[in-house]
Amino acid sequence: MAQENKDIITKLVVTSSDSVLPIDAAMRIYESSTEIVIKETCFGTMVTGPSDAVDKVVNEVVSLDKNHIFVKERGFPPGDDRRCRASRGGGSRPGFYFLKEEAMMLPIIGKALDEYERDTPLRKREEKKKLEIKDIQDIIESSL
Amino acid sequence: MANVIIYPTNSLILSDLVKRFGHTPLAMMEKIKEKISTVGVDSPPLNITAEEPKLGLKYAAVEVPAGVRGRMSMIGPMVERSEAGIIVGESPMAFGCMGCARTNELTKYLIRTRDMPVLELAFPKTDEEGQEFVYRIAEFLRSLPQQEEGKE
Amino acid sequence: MKDEAVAKVALVSCGSEYAGVHGELESVASSVNAKLVYPEIEVDILDDIGKDFGIEAASPDLRLMMARATAVVEGITDVDGVFITSCFRCAEAAIVRNEVRSYINKHSTLPVISYSFTERTTAATLLTRMEALTTIARRRHLLAREKQSGLTAGIDSGSTTTKAVIMKDNQILGSGWVPTIKVIDSATEALNSALEEAGLKKEDIQAMGTTGYGRFLVGEHFNANLIQEEITVNSKGAVYLADKQQGSATVIDIGGMDNKAISVEDGIPGMFTMGGICAGASGRFLDMTAKRLGVDITELGDLAVKGMEQNVSMNSYCIVFGIQSLVNSLAKGSTPEDVAAAACHSVVEQIFEQQLQEVDVKEPLILVGGSSLIEGVPKALGELLKIDVLVPPNSHLIGAVGSALLASGFLEE
Repeated sequence: MAQENKDIITKLVVTSSDSVLPIDAAMRIYESSTEIVIKETCFGTMVTGPSDAVDKVVNEVVSLDKNHIFVKERGFPPGDDRRCRASRGGGSRPGFYFLKEEAMMLPIIGKALDEYERDTPLRKREEKKKLEIKDIQDIIESSL
Repeated sequence: MANVIIYPTNSLILSDLVKRFGHTPLAMMEKIKEKISTVGVDSPPLNITAEEPKLGLKYAAVEVPAGVRGRMSMIGPMVERSEAGIIVGESPMAFGCMGCARTNELTKYLIRTRDMPVLELAFPKTDEEGQEFVYRIAEFLRSLPQQEEGKE
Repeated sequence: MKDEAVAKVALVSCGSEYAGVHGELESVASSVNAKLVYPEIEVDILDDIGKDFGIEAASPDLRLMMARATAVVEGITDVDGVFITSCFRCAEAAIVRNEVRSYINKHSTLPVISYSFTERTTAATLLTRMEALTTIARRRHLLAREKQSGLTAGIDSGSTTTKAVIMKDNQILGSGWVPTIKVIDSATEALNSALEEAGLKKEDIQAMGTTGYGRFLVGEHFNANLIQEEITVNSKGAVYLADKQQGSATVIDIGGMDNKAISVEDGIPGMFTMGGICAGASGRFLDMTAKRLGVDITELGDLAVKGMEQNVSMNSYCIVFGIQSLVNSLAKGSTPEDVAAAACHSVVEQIFEQQLQEVDVKEPLILVGGSSLIEGVPKALGELLKIDVLVPPNSHLIGAVGSALLASGFLEE
């Protein structure tokens, strides 16, 4: 597992917080360690370095607002020639579009995590059910 | 602590939630990292060579396109290591590692047919759906063994 | 061609990164001084691209292909050519690949190649295709040349035969046609016989062009002005010889080892495919049929036009099994005429099934290459496509004539 080997890892920290701005998270990372390299991107901050150092600083940042700061590991280090759009001739890396879509869902997830933590009971959702033949008949007749 | 395979295999949200609730996410990112860090292989961008589609023959027959088998050479072993799975329904934006519908069908099949707990749900669009999404994932992850086991 | 600018080729692909062929694509691009670029797109268009483009493909990467094609056509990304590629045997990708190809062709003047790969696809397989793509991008002015001038030579060093011509002031003065044995020896022999017929000496040649499999070796040996792949050269040669230089045309070249189907607009290839999976669709199959029938290859055509292909059952793509079918038919009492006709039909049927699906067939259909001289072949093709097939004079010399024609462009530079 990641914690056990000393190799270099990259984690992406995505902030979706009212109290912690991405820049706050970035500043916290800048201050915390000299072993790591960080890069800010449109959707979050990439943190690269020895796994221990990366995990430590990422945990610190997450603790600033734990239900609204999200983390995933990344395969490529930032600016890798093989993936960087600058050297690859334009066009985002394929994973970017999905990340963008997920980032837009984070406020919903964060809110739900807050509720889960507070043991807020699950709101009953109204199930959408298929229209009965009778209902369709009524609609048709009413629009005639 | 259980190895939980996530689908989409590159999801930020799922990877984060699995880790947050004390388990190990099995995600594509670490596989990609493993690939691109392989010393002595130079096949940009992902260091996948003609060997990978051959390794993928373990999961799909030779008549299955090379791109599916190449992906399966990475996803298949992850499924084999998994002790639980979370499948979140199709995302239209999942490109790259998740960009092939045929691979995705096979991946979900392998997860579903493995003898292990599997949770299936859809990405939320509203606050209500979000709440249910997080609650169900949290309860599912809590139901998994918390002890260290099944380490590779 | 290192002095030329780097050509930007848009890679519109699905699966290449995961099939182990991406490195090959990059390598073949750099070998022809091209760079693969990935068209930049607006993320928002991905939401509706399925409906906007018209194919609601299940695979997101195929929708990305459509979005990238749109970006290329709309000029959001500035490129010189487009390489469209996806996994072999993927039906969904084949549909998208074909529609994307014809969409780009219809809405832009960019040259396009479409190719389906397996994990065994190598840079060598892709070289001629990528070379043609960059040639079209770089040498549009040269390819626009419609008349030969000065005294030039062209050599087409093919896999089976080597052809040479000497041209002067838009006329063919002499030609040579010999089997390819040793590449340079055969080229020399073909050139000498062309010179002899023209009554000229090698020193009289003002410029030379080479094409075909042996183009690099022969070109270097004779210090040729132009060394160019056979797709652009042959389509030029075909429309020149057929006198169809303006407007649309489709060129089918049945070679000794592979076939080309090229969609041409004003003498410049727009889309093209190269076959090469089964020898059953090549001139070599006809050669073997002739041998089996005990006739010279030049007599096979006469024989075929007298036969009925329907009388012989042939349903094999493979050259070995194809010949076996013919042997069986002869054993059952089929006539050599019917067998010859079946062989011609088999070749064109395979070209139809494997290659003509990948280009838009527009009339005139110009059939060239040595096999076009076998009368049964144009006849079978015409019957299959229900259109008239045009076989220009000297149709076996198109590569050499195209080279000589294009080489004369260097005289004025």
